[in-house]
Amino acid sequence: MLENYLPVLLQIVIASGFAAVTLLISVLVGRSAKRTAIKDSSYECGMLPLQEGQPRFSVKFYIVAMLFVLFDIEVVFLYPWSVIYKDYIAAHGAGIFFSALSFVSILGVAFVYAWRKGALNWRN
Amino acid sequence: MSVFTIEAFLAILGLVLLMIEAFAPDISRRTLAALSIGGTALALVLFFTVASHETSSLPAFVQPWMKLDSLAIFYKGLSLVITLLVLWLMHECAPYLSKYTVDGRLSELFSLPLIVCAGMMWMAAATDLVTVFVALELVTVSFYVLVAFARKSNLALEAGVKYLILGALSTGILVFGIAWIYGATGSLSFEGISAALAKPETSKVPALLGAAFLLAGLGFKVAAAPFQSWVPDVYQGAPIPVTTFLSVGSKAAGFVVLTRTVEALIGEHSIIGPEVKALLLVLGALTVLLGSLPAIFQQSVKRLLGYSSISHAGYLILALACGDSIRTGMTSGGIVAFYLATYLPMTVLAFLVLAVLRVNGQGEDIRDFRGLGKRSPLLALALTLALASLAGLPLTAGFMGKLFVFFSLVDHAYWGALVCATIGAAAGFYYYFRAIVAIYSTEGSSNEPLKLNIASKVGATVLAVVIVVLGVYPKPLQHTLTKPVEVAAKASAH
Amino acid sequence: MPHPPQEITSSSLPTLLLLLPLFSALVILLAHRVLKGACVAISIFSAAICFVISLMLLGTKDAAPLLLPFIEVGKFHIAIDAVMDHQSRGMMFIVTSIGFFVHLFSVGYMKEDESKERFFGSLSLFMFSMTGIVLSGNLFMMFIFWELVGLSSYLLIGHWFEKPSAAEASKKAFLTNRIGDFGFMIGILMLFMANHGDVSFAGLHASFAEGPLHDSAKLHPTFMMLAALGIFMGAVGKSAQFPLHVWLPDAMEGPTPVSALIHAATMVAAGVYMLVRCAFVIEASPDASYIIAWIGGLTALMAALIATQQNDIKRVLAYSTLSQLGYMVMAVGLVALQAGGSHHDAAAPGHPAMFHLYTHAFFKAMLFLGSGAVIYACHHEQDIWKMGGLAKHMPVVFITFAIGTASLMGVPYITSGFWSKEAILGVAFEVKGGSPLLWIGVATAMLTAFYMTRMFIVAFFGKPRSENASHAVEAPIIMILPLALLALLTILSPWDGAARILEAMKPHHAAPHHTVEIASILALLIGSGAGYVIYKGKNSDPLASNPLAKLFANKFYFDELYTVLVKVFQDGLAWIITGIERILVDGIVARLPAFVARRFGHSARALAGGHLQGYTFLLGAGLLVVIYLIVFVLPQAGH
Repeated sequence: MLENYLPVLLQIVIASGFAAVTLLISVLVGRSAKRTAIKDSSYECGMLPLQEGQPRFSVKFYIVAMLFVLFDIEVVFLYPWSVIYKDYIAAHGAGIFFSALSFVSILGVAFVYAWRKGALNWRN
Repeated sequence: MSVFTIEAFLAILGLVLLMIEAFAPDISRRTLAALSIGGTALALVLFFTVASHETSSLPAFVQPWMKLDSLAIFYKGLSLVITLLVLWLMHECAPYLSKYTVDGRLSELFSLPLIVCAGMMWMAAATDLVTVFVALELVTVSFYVLVAFARKSNLALEAGVKYLILGALSTGILVFGIAWIYGATGSLSFEGISAALAKPETSKVPALLGAAFLLAGLGFKVAAAPFQSWVPDVYQGAPIPVTTFLSVGSKAAGFVVLTRTVEALIGEHSIIGPEVKALLLVLGALTVLLGSLPAIFQQSVKRLLGYSSISHAGYLILALACGDSIRTGMTSGGIVAFYLATYLPMTVLAFLVLAVLRVNGQGEDIRDFRGLGKRSPLLALALTLALASLAGLPLTAGFMGKLFVFFSLVDHAYWGALVCATIGAAAGFYYYFRAIVAIYSTEGSSNEPLKLNIASKVGATVLAVVIVVLGVYPKPLQHTLTKPVEVAAKASAH
Repeated sequence: MPHPPQEITSSSLPTLLLLLPLFSALVILLAHRVLKGACVAISIFSAAICFVISLMLLGTKDAAPLLLPFIEVGKFHIAIDAVMDHQSRGMMFIVTSIGFFVHLFSVGYMKEDESKERFFGSLSLFMFSMTGIVLSGNLFMMFIFWELVGLSSYLLIGHWFEKPSAAEASKKAFLTNRIGDFGFMIGILMLFMANHGDVSFAGLHASFAEGPLHDSAKLHPTFMMLAALGIFMGAVGKSAQFPLHVWLPDAMEGPTPVSALIHAATMVAAGVYMLVRCAFVIEASPDASYIIAWIGGLTALMAALIATQQNDIKRVLAYSTLSQLGYMVMAVGLVALQAGGSHHDAAAPGHPAMFHLYTHAFFKAMLFLGSGAVIYACHHEQDIWKMGGLAKHMPVVFITFAIGTASLMGVPYITSGFWSKEAILGVAFEVKGGSPLLWIGVATAMLTAFYMTRMFIVAFFGKPRSENASHAVEAPIIMILPLALLALLTILSPWDGAARILEAMKPHHAAPHHTVEIASILALLIGSGAGYVIYKGKNSDPLASNPLAKLFANKFYFDELYTVLVKVFQDGLAWIITGIERILVDGIVARLPAFVARRFGHSARALAGGHLQGYTFLLGAGLLVVIYLIVFVLPQAGH
């Protein structure tokens, strides 16, 4: 049983070994440079950094992004549904329509809620 | 009318309350609370009238994914009861909670539990992993909001972020596990999985891997070690009613799924049965220890109850690992259900007392219990009962559940796990009784009598009485949960 | 009538017997502020109904109704189930009748007490626990009620808790009983283990006849002996046998009706009752039977010796109770020896211990209540040397006391005490190797005659030796009535018909042994003659200066010995516990985690210190561990 995993183990060893060896070689072979503040700054291109490397985004951005993902997924769900809709309704009746309807209306309620709560209002 | 209608009613009521909040922001808190509590109470009454009928069944379009067995009915009832209690607690805590929201409004607080309740009820009846997943996410996502509800409190925000990130991670793990299981067995329904695992030609390693991911994902939801690290922080940060809901509702829902999953994984002739059992034993024992030993050093009662909730989860996992017990004549699912039913009143009672102290401007540390015996003898007695029951003192509700677990362990001769469980129980006696001692110590921070409204008095009394009655006379409950076993045993005998 | 009467008695009457006193106790506990005087009425009412029920139960068929199933886990049951057989019916009659009389008597005796609601509440609780013991059909239930009796006797003895001696006495009674109960519990657990979780009396009995206990009695006699002695430990505590007898005389600090209730008839008799219930356990181990018989005999003799030099009227009675209980325990041991040898059943009706329990219960309760009346009349004076000449002042009390004294001394052929004592001595005579115990019994009988004569003469004859005694008047009617009723019962109790109704108490119908009869009559004559000669017309004890008498007066210095022992043990235990705490709590629980955390250093603290990254890492690591376990470790371990 365990022998079956030998290739996996070998791959792990080789992968981490390769990384280790590369780093080691560069340390051993390369000339160690002097470290200065300028050298340590990001993008060693002569420009002084103006601000933090990770600027803070407004929380509104995240809210809109989240809402986008939410409704995006709705479309993703509805796409296959619409593809089989015609055949399915012919074979099994209207159940498929009502289930999608309830799905959409729940999302509709969520949309109305987000709208009334001002989540879509960028200025506020 | 079917049970499903009641669940749909709850979910729709939740949405309606959200809409009311959106379009009529000036509506009074009292009206919202009344609507939500009244709706849940109505649902509970309807549920009891419907569930007692043998004919109650599910509509045709959900039948492929849901099944109403006695376990499902039991957990559905439990969900409704805990939701009702939590809504009431929320109403009690509303004055202090509203200080911590941005606009002082609490409407989502009264609508989300309804949606959670619907989710838990669906989860209780779900027969395949996709339904389980959808219902579970409905519950979990609602909880993300509830945990972080007291937005002005740093602790609550921290708890919310931790719960969100770790919860999302565990959801990912769970889905991954479902995928592996599907790959290994070709089925998503519990019956199909069980049948496929009984076939010798099913490949073992993918199934094991799937089981590991599945159990890890569910283990997070029920706070099993080593996925329990979020519990103390989240319990401490979340508002008291939400903590109550997490520790009883979310846990019960997690355990009904875990019960069904484990039953499917370790069914008769299952090729991965022994491994899953052994894993559960290890995890259960570890959970008991990691829950009860750190609890010894806790000063905050909410953290203490968090750790206690972990250790209780450990006992439940041990019960699941054992499978059916000959000596108790109960299935592991029955034992878990019994344990959770007894766990409900004692936990709610403990949190109720915390809430009352909080409303009266006290903190949540053990030292805030000091002098409670003088300030409110009724609450002190009730809390003593609750803590004694959590510790598992004989003649209280908590004793019988633990007894069943110990009997199962003895039955299957799992001595190592038994030793761990015993250590956990002994440690439990230590830290719960430390809190009890604080209640009756005389040097309190203040000696003013606590102001209690009539609802808290009645609630505390009723819960305390339930604890004692279940402790002294557990047979009716035990029998309700034993019945399916006998039927099952007879069915398998033929 | 739709229901035949038999069916009604089978479960509703025992339930009522249990619930009435409980209900009364609860009502008094919860509402004594509102009810005030009505508490007394409630308590008496419940006692009266219980008495009536126990009368109704007499002569009914045997039954074993299940009152409340408590825990039912497969084969393992714990339940509140009653056993209605000859023993419980008879015992129930004794308990409820004496309980009822004591309730009545207390109305008069406790009239001026400020907290009589509490007193009557405790009485009801006591009645509840006693009926529980009598009814119990299994050892677990018996143990629960056993503890409840301990609790309620604690409350009753310590009723006047503002008196330091009473508070001390109640504590002593409780603690001493706990020692016995500990042994009892161990005994129960041993039987529980050996009989696979069944400790109902029926189940144990069957198992001893043929089953696991029968085998283990054969294979492991030592185990059986220890189990029997464990059970016996319970009786040693509750029935105040040597060496745990010290609590009973001190417990006389409680109100006198309580002394009558607890120490004459019910609580102390519970130990004997329990031993007779478990007779088959003791029977299974001849060694245990032997030890039990000897402890009973020694207690009887020792207590009788101490009683000769006590001056407190209640203490004399207390030691005489001890001595009589010793008789009963001796009888239990002897009958078990006899039954173990032959094939007849020790639990069958007519156990001499139960017969003595029954006769003794009535006359001793009467004596205690009589002494209560005397104490009440003398304004709470208890020293017999400060009484005297009471016969003239309180004729009714005098007559009832005389009847009681005669019965206790065993005046031949007409008193109940004589017959029951004969039955016990007869067994001692029959059993092989019982003759030393026979002579101990006879010596005890002689001493009993001596000290009872002494007390009787000193208290009731001669001149009043104090102001209080000379002003004594007859007791009020509410106190006379129970005395008279008890006197009637005492006179009736040896009568065959009365004994037949109480099946369990039917006299032992072995052939009378003339040797035994002559010996005990001689003992009576010598004892009471000596008492008469020594104490007639004396104003102080002529024997008091005797060194031997000093030894008796100081109760063989048991209390002093125990004080020293307790101190030594306590200090030793404290020393050991401190050691454990230093090593375990300080060392392992407190220091070890700190040590480990320091070893793992910063990273460990970062992981568990509330950082989300740490939690996430732990979650992932946990997942890896789970996968590793289930995929690589467990499959190997499983096969």
